[in-house]
Amino acid sequence: MGLKKGKPTPETDIPGERHQARDLDGLLQALHADEPMARRWAARDLAAHPEATADLVKQLRREPENSVRQVILSSLTNIGNEAAIQGLIDCLYLEDAMLRNAAIDVLKELPDQVAPFMGRLLQDPDPDVRIFAVDVLESLRHPRVEEWLIEVISQDAHVNVCATAVDLLGEVGSDQAKTALLSLKQRFADEPYIQFAADLALKRIEADGA
Amino acid sequence: MKRILVIDDAATVRLYHREILEKAGYQVAEAINGLEALEKIEEAPFDLYLVDINMPKLDGYGFLRALRQREMPQAPAIMISTESSDSDRQAALVAGANLYILKPTRPEHLLPYVQSLLGEWQRT
Repeated sequence: MGLKKGKPTPETDIPGERHQARDLDGLLQALHADEPMARRWAARDLAAHPEATADLVKQLRREPENSVRQVILSSLTNIGNEAAIQGLIDCLYLEDAMLRNAAIDVLKELPDQVAPFMGRLLQDPDPDVRIFAVDVLESLRHPRVEEWLIEVISQDAHVNVCATAVDLLGEVGSDQAKTALLSLKQRFADEPYIQFAADLALKRIEADGA
Repeated sequence: MKRILVIDDAATVRLYHREILEKAGYQVAEAINGLEALEKIEEAPFDLYLVDINMPKLDGYGFLRALRQREMPQAPAIMISTESSDSDRQAALVAGANLYILKPTRPEHLLPYVQSLLGEWQRT
């Protein structure tokens, strides 16, 4: 029996999917389409276009669909250039808690790319941003991590920034952190958590040195 | 004995809260993120949850939303965070928290909230 010739199968007939050309201009156009599926596909394919970083960041901040946001974040992670990192850092200042936390998670996955921004982040006027910066240090394999943490607990006036740093010093701290930890206990003498965390860090450092 | 699940990715914070709550007579279990917490409540529900916001894999919001959608006896949840903005507070309450308090906690502040949510608090 001969094969019947049917209509040629279209490349896709899913609404919203890949109606635009797949070049950069077409993808950027699709990134602003009405259908979330079209935006999702465009965001995914734009991972191969670092020149689209600014558009992805802009769309991330106004994107209402969580599933599209996730794809944009994933594409920005893959791109991982300076503009992508800066765009994600800018999200830390947003009121949108969900987006801010999503950006933090992505930045934690890119410690090497975030490292050049670390000095500035640790001095940021916003304590929440400084806490995030200390959090990122946890995943940063960098010879200055302990030095940065000691600076934080010696100088930062915000109790939660110091609390986050002291948690990490308990894991990575050495003898050179002891003086700063003792000073921290004096500086926050009436904060039970700081007393608890600093004592724990000192015990761990002592145990490691024994 | 009332059972409390402490959910936080920071080991020191979990240990700190465990000590406060155990000294006050509660039985305490720990989870390092929202996903592990959801696994623990499958084994046995808890009487109260102490939940951090920022955690890897599943954050505090995600945990609370998943918890509140489950058909199981519900228990109060206190969200504990370093973030003091109104949007964080609002997002926590919308996700299903009963209370939102700021870190670092102090025993004399935390325990009355815990006792109140567990129906144990009495004015002295």
